Amino acid sequence: MTTTMMTNPGGDAARTLALANLPAALDLAVFEVTGPGFVGHPVGALPAWLGLPAGIPVDLCDQYPMLELFLPGLDVWEGESDVWTETDSTGQDRYLQAVAALSEGRRFLVLKSLPADLHRLQQSDHDVQIQKEKIERLSRELERATQAKSDFLARMSHEIRTPLNAIIGMADVLSATDLTAEQKRCVEVSQRNGVALLELINDILDLAKVESGKVELEQVGLDLRDVIARALEVVELRATRKGLWLRRNIADGVPVHLQGDPNRLRQILINLLGNSIKFTHQGGIEILVEQDPADRTPGRLRFGVRDTGIGIPPEKLDSVFENFTQADTSTTRQYGGTGLGLSISRQLVELMGGRIWVESTVGQGSTFYFTANLVVPEGLPASGPDAVAEQQPVAPPSVTSQPLTGMRILMADDSEDNRFLILSYLKRRGCVIDIAENGAEAVELFRRNSYDAVLMDVEMPVMDGFMATREIRSLEKAENRKATPVLALTAHAFADMAQRGANSGFTETLTKPIRNTTLLEALARYAPAEPQMPPPAQDKILVTIDEDMADVVPGYLDKRRAEVSLYRQALATGDFSAIRNLGHKMKGTGSGYGFEELTALGAALEKAAASQQSEEIAVKLDELTRYLGSVELEYRKA
Amino acid sequence: MLKKKICLLGSFGVGKTSLVARFVHSMFSDKYHTTVGVKIDKKTFPLNGEEVTLMIWDMAGEEDGAPVKLNQVRDAAGYLLVMDGTRSKTLEVARSIQQRVENEIGNQPFILLVNKVDLRSEWEIPEATWDELRAAGWTILETSAKTGDHVEEAFLGLTTRIIQAGDDDDDDD
Ligand SMILES: Nc1nc2c(ncn2[C@@H]2O[C@H](COP(=O)(O)OP(=O)(O)O)[C@@H](O)[C@H]2O)c(=O)[nH]1
Ligand SMILES: [Mg+2]
Repeated sequence: MTTTMMTNPGGDAARTLALANLPAALDLAVFEVTGPGFVGHPVGALPAWLGLPAGIPVDLCDQYPMLELFLPGLDVWEGESDVWTETDSTGQDRYLQAVAALSEGRRFLVLKSLPADLHRLQQSDHDVQIQKEKIERLSRELERATQAKSDFLARMSHEIRTPLNAIIGMADVLSATDLTAEQKRCVEVSQRNGVALLELINDILDLAKVESGKVELEQVGLDLRDVIARALEVVELRATRKGLWLRRNIADGVPVHLQGDPNRLRQILINLLGNSIKFTHQGGIEILVEQDPADRTPGRLRFGVRDTGIGIPPEKLDSVFENFTQADTSTTRQYGGTGLGLSISRQLVELMGGRIWVESTVGQGSTFYFTANLVVPEGLPASGPDAVAEQQPVAPPSVTSQPLTGMRILMADDSEDNRFLILSYLKRRGCVIDIAENGAEAVELFRRNSYDAVLMDVEMPVMDGFMATREIRSLEKAENRKATPVLALTAHAFADMAQRGANSGFTETLTKPIRNTTLLEALARYAPAEPQMPPPAQDKILVTIDEDMADVVPGYLDKRRAEVSLYRQALATGDFSAIRNLGHKMKGTGSGYGFEELTALGAALEKAAASQQSEEIAVKLDELTRYLGSVELEYRKA
Repeated sequence: MLKKKICLLGSFGVGKTSLVARFVHSMFSDKYHTTVGVKIDKKTFPLNGEEVTLMIWDMAGEEDGAPVKLNQVRDAAGYLLVMDGTRSKTLEVARSIQQRVENEIGNQPFILLVNKVDLRSEWEIPEATWDELRAAGWTILETSAKTGDHVEEAFLGLTTRIIQAGDDDDDDD
């Protein structure tokens, strides 16, 4: 048929045939419509997919209900319909559209088939959209799961910390009693492992907190030197035990009065310092602070923690900040710990808008760097009082050697174990303690007496610590008494504790299990300047020093005072080499600052430690404490 | 014989086409084919001793920039509003369509189908939402085109309500 058409294009018969076949060849179905009822008479051949017999009129609306909407009346006869889908005679979906056309007063309806891939574009759009919604849903689910995890951890932390409190505390108490060498070793093991477990729990909780977005950054004024000193203070004993030096080096021109989150900054530094100490066996660790060389914005600082340790092989440099990946698993066996500190640090640094990385040479040491955006407060000189770069050993501020003599303390705790523990910490400290077994009792005692400080357990029957503190605060208001420091004790480590505590009027919150030194330090902050009862007679020891030493000597003495607690801890754990180190250092420096007595005591302590004479050490430590407590300075003009 | 037009309305991908395929042909496919324009299916079944023919308009899912074509809904006797329990966004779409349709054609009967109940573990819409909608007078069915759960109930339920609603104003063949 086609051949005929082509070889004889001029023939009339052929032309008629071609015209008749044209619609079908163009894949169109053409009907002439006569009313009423929209009956369509096929014009020429219909495409096969339509599945309609040729030449037989059909009721179009019955056949294609879509057309009911499109064909409003026979008088208006033009336009295109909406597209619809029709399953054709082969079972294939086709996309159809109807076109109405008027020609010489005759109404025609043309059905055309649109390209079969019409849906493709839309389809892929939809697929993308649905995928996107699915990912959003999964991330919401993940968020909920993380939330649940962190809630669970908060609950568990309470359950775990409370008994751990008792275990570590009792071991501390036990270690201070008369023990055989064998027993001492057992207690030490138990103390060491208790503390390690506590640190692990704290790390995991920290990580959970950061991961669940529960960490909110503070923006408060801070003194950079103070933040660094407090970080160094925490790790000092560990470093001293290993015979390592610690230094800080704040570059010339770095502002020290800044705004940021001092606690988080300190936490990062402590984690990095702790990590460095773990992997350094000789030499020491230095904290470096300078303007970020990559960003000159004021307050954009680069911190470095540089050690002379074993170093990290190049291929491990990237993974050290990931959860549970110390450089290798044998490291964990050899050095202990989980390495969680580094991944917590990374998360905190990133939260603060900074970056953390490490540079290292195996056998020579590592430097962990991080950047932080701190704010230079307006109205202060960009450059702080550190006119020259400091490079000196640091003197952390100290309070532990202050006696609590005459201090009146109210302790409220429902647990007999806890009361016993705290009493044993405060034994022989010269303070006077009243005991309440619940919040109501505490309020009653408070009504009748006045105290220098209140130790308030949070979870108690009858009346909890929040309520009791609120009562105390309103009592103070009503009776015009001055505010008494209330130190809350809680095993809940999570952040909203702080908020609720602040609302109730807690002066500060201490986390259980509470350790001896933490408690003493906290209480010492609130010890009355003038003891209410005279301390045991203590002669003042007047030491005369040159006036040009006035800047450094008080700091030197403070550092010695801080060391007393280090000595005592070392003695409690039988760590004689730490005592030897400390004693040796003091022997070497004391007379240089004008304190012959300190040099003598240092020598005595070093000697006693060398021969492991615990009793002699205890005697010398008492002497040292007395001396440091009685020494007064007098200046001589140069 | 009664002949009624109903529409399936909702966001794309919620299972409108699959629900029709399940009801009309007792089939289900995991493949997703976007509906182009509208596809009209017919099913005749007895209901309370009467033959009913449903003209089922399976419409292209609503999406940004392509809202439901209200002119296609105009002469519907009722509609099934379909959402996907795993995609909370599709509830918002359903609510918004219902508003527009009601403005256009008034209080015609409709049922909200929360589809893909076979994936219930992935649903994330709080129970309170359903309570709230029911309190506002909505009928809600949890369906699965995949397992056939409540699919018959959905279509027959809507038809029954259409017949009840239309007992007085009869305009059918
Ligand atoms: N698991 C499951 N999948 C379904 C169900 N109904 C539809 N689907 C799937 O969801 C996708 C979209 O379905 P479809 O009927 O084309 O949605 P429409 O755009 O609303 O017509 C397809 O992949 C279907 O296989 C259901 O009840 N359960
Ligand atoms: Mg569809």
